[in-house]
Amino acid sequence: MPPSRDGEEASGVSRRTFLKTAGAGAAASSLLGAAPPGQPPRILGPDAVTLDFKVNGVLRSVSVEPRVTLLRALRNQLDLTGAKEVCDRGGCGACTVLLDGEPVCSCLMLAVDAAGHEITTVEGLGTPEKLSPLQAAFVECDALQCGFCTPGFVVAGTAFLRQNPNPSLAEVKHGLSGNLCRCGTYPRIFEAVQKAAKAPAKGAKRG
Amino acid sequence: MSAEAPRESDPTTTPHQSKAGHASAPQTIEVKMAAGDLAPWDLDTRFRVVKGREPRLEGPAKVTGRARYTLDVNQPGMLWAKMVRASVPAAAILKLDTSKAEALPGVKAVWTTEARIVRFAGQDLAAIAAASLEIAEDAARLVVVEYDERPFVTDLDHAMDVGAPLVYAADEAPGPKGVPRSGNVLGPMPPRRGGSRGDIEKGFAEAEVTVEGTYSVAVHTHASLEPHCVVAKWDGDDLTVWASTQGVFTVREGLAEALGIERTRITVITEHMGGGFGSKLAPSAAGSAFAVVACKLAKQAGAPVKLSLDRREEHLCTGNAPSARMTVRLGAKRDGTLTAMHHRAFGSAGIAGGAGSGGPIAALYTGCPHLKVEEHDVFTNAGPAAPLRAPGHPQGAFALESAMDELAEKLGIDPLELRRKNESHPVRKIQYDAGAQAIGWERRNKKAGDTPGVRRRGIGMANGNWYVFARDRGVGAEVKIHRDGGIELFSGAQDIGGGFRTAMAMVAAEELGVKPSDIVVRVGNTRYPEGPGSGGSTTTNSVAPAVRLAAHEARQKLFDLAAGLLKAKPEALDATGGRIFVIASPSRSITIRQAAARMPGETIACVGERKPQFEIYRGDLAGTQFAEVEVDIETGEVRIVKMVSVNDCGLPVNRLTAESQVIGAMIQGASWALLENRILDRNFGTMVNPNLESYKILAPADMFEVVPILTEVANLGNNTSTAGLGEPPIVPTLAAIANAIYNASGARVRSLPITPDKVLAALAEARRRA
Repeated sequence: MPPSRDGEEASGVSRRTFLKTAGAGAAASSLLGAAPPGQPPRILGPDAVTLDFKVNGVLRSVSVEPRVTLLRALRNQLDLTGAKEVCDRGGCGACTVLLDGEPVCSCLMLAVDAAGHEITTVEGLGTPEKLSPLQAAFVECDALQCGFCTPGFVVAGTAFLRQNPNPSLAEVKHGLSGNLCRCGTYPRIFEAVQKAAKAPAKGAKRG
Repeated sequence: MSAEAPRESDPTTTPHQSKAGHASAPQTIEVKMAAGDLAPWDLDTRFRVVKGREPRLEGPAKVTGRARYTLDVNQPGMLWAKMVRASVPAAAILKLDTSKAEALPGVKAVWTTEARIVRFAGQDLAAIAAASLEIAEDAARLVVVEYDERPFVTDLDHAMDVGAPLVYAADEAPGPKGVPRSGNVLGPMPPRRGGSRGDIEKGFAEAEVTVEGTYSVAVHTHASLEPHCVVAKWDGDDLTVWASTQGVFTVREGLAEALGIERTRITVITEHMGGGFGSKLAPSAAGSAFAVVACKLAKQAGAPVKLSLDRREEHLCTGNAPSARMTVRLGAKRDGTLTAMHHRAFGSAGIAGGAGSGGPIAALYTGCPHLKVEEHDVFTNAGPAAPLRAPGHPQGAFALESAMDELAEKLGIDPLELRRKNESHPVRKIQYDAGAQAIGWERRNKKAGDTPGVRRRGIGMANGNWYVFARDRGVGAEVKIHRDGGIELFSGAQDIGGGFRTAMAMVAAEELGVKPSDIVVRVGNTRYPEGPGSGGSTTTNSVAPAVRLAAHEARQKLFDLAAGLLKAKPEALDATGGRIFVIASPSRSITIRQAAARMPGETIACVGERKPQFEIYRGDLAGTQFAEVEVDIETGEVRIVKMVSVNDCGLPVNRLTAESQVIGAMIQGASWALLENRILDRNFGTMVNPNLESYKILAPADMFEVVPILTEVANLGNNTSTAGLGEPPIVPTLAAIANAIYNASGARVRSLPITPDKVLAALAEARRRA
């Protein structure tokens, strides 16, 4: 075994931290606007920075290190724990949120990159007392078992239905293919999405 | 089905005539209930709630992200912990230096292992608690470990070689005493239930046709989406632990022992749980003491600590389903009657034991007079296995049921007919018809692969078995009626996603004459009445009888209160739709709320205690599955088209969630059959794919049509006639798919997962033989 493995870890900089920090630097420049020609881009961090973004319609301010992902900022700073950290690398969709209406894996995005944008989490789509049509269909069709993947599917499904209000089964499968469920609830998730597609909007937000 | 005498320990018994079995073949049986128990629900019971389709009560909280799982629990002043794990598979630890980590600002507590030997890459070494998760991760990277690396072995075949590096020295290996041991191989193990019978040599001498095959299954990890996680919080000597567990009481007992404190000081809470599949039955995890570590860090830091494993750790140290290499030999007469069955298996549960796979062959085709089961555990330098959804049974059924198909082929008998011929379970006989009809069995290729085109379809089937397990001592439930008419139901047992909470509400609602949603159900807390760990498909049938008793007593007390108002005797009353009415004159009624208002105090509290299983009429849980697949004979790709699962679960309490469990088991099994494979690097001993993008699990785009069929059986095992369902439907899946692939293409793949390369190799082999 090459001894370098522990040596690399002991250096305090893992490849991932490096990439995230580098990403933060790039993000910061875009956030603050392109640097004037001939000047280096401004670098954020490593200390915490204050960011503002709109979450579920409310302006929120968080103080996070630039390397912190949007997912962790939502969960650990704002206590919005609907989006889940499952694979932490974009493989399962459990952390899906809407960024300006588009579904994104919040584990793959730095919080600094979300500054100034409008974020909708599963908590913003409905409440237990007033479920969105898709949320209501999930409950009715038993499109959940342990429920840990459910917020990700609900957010992804909401975005999908906005794009394709009357999908075929094949389109639903394709549209949700970024999300994983380990309990094996897929057929009932498809059923719920198709049911919500047919449900009248009732003045509630579509999906 | 077996008739057994009631246990001697039962104090007094009351005989009762009940109608047992499946509706197509009812049997009237005298059940002797323990004192204080109720007559069992049977085929004649008319239900108002039970056997209905009730959306789960926690659904709205889950679909809106409000449900708080352990991973979501945040406490004021909480610290975040991260563990450091061995990066090599076998070594002596020369140095474990946490000084740099401790010096990092924000680090509040550090734990290090006392172990000096590493046996798998992923073993616990150290842990850090810090002000943020990012700081804890930074600190974990500052821990310096020096190893004296030793030879290791990670794959089953090499571990069995003479001279292979020993995972354990002779006196260190876990496992039963007195079992023969040679190198890393332990076995044959003592016979399991069903064991061996007859004389296998005689059986093969009597056989006119024999088949033999060796079947292998790769390691499958549980890959629960919620990681193993705890939040530990001390308040003086009292400890509260939120845990992502399948057994809150197991966690309490394990922590009490490890921390040297009394159980009375510990409260364990699991309100919602994000999947376990058997990996969350231990106090911490199969290969990590993380929960104990979190409690120690919290004590040291004087602050609550959240310790969650990450995705990589989930694959490395929280358990898995053992690999298996099984040689099955079957002997039969020309008419298909089995004369001998032999299962000789080697499996690896990593550094742990328990890789047996002989369960199905010991329980299926019990009419075969000669059976020999030989099971061996092989130690490897890999994370320990943990129970996974019917432990050892999907593996064993894959071998047996593939071999049965090969026998059918050799005999020239339809595979379903061969099973019918040897079937001894009355319920499975019924299930064959239901399943064959749902899949369209007559559409299968009469000759394997005999269909035109590149994408060829075929149909296969396989059987599975499971047992009626229940914890029938020391399990309770409490029903409280409040003066305002509110109803609360308490069970300490946890809802791991199977729908336990809703099913228990339905049982109580049946007795109380209310809707399940009228009941506030509180589960997953060691402060509530004792419940079992959710393993072995036991939660519902262990707790439901206690819930029924508690609710029945509350009903009696409400009827006593209502009797005065309705001017009728309590026994002349019934309840439905939230109203108590006179049976002879239903218009004379009052609401439960009106009756409750008459109670002398503020609550009526009724505790039900689970009585012993009746043990009068009981059969193993029968199951059979059918699969239709499409095989691309040019690329070797397999696509599942449709699966049908037919399962016995006693009386299903909630059909909606019961079906979901069956569907889920088929999908997890399909994922195991086609995709899943924990790959350990032979040269480094570390896992190559500890994530969810290269450790593949079945995704939406892979999905197929699913048909869950429940065969209701009044098994009279307890007062609700319930049995388990979480595990049995995954048992036949692997074999059903393999057999369908054979029927579609002529490719007999004896090694899981069935990846395109294996299909192409098997097709080439089939062509060579032809």
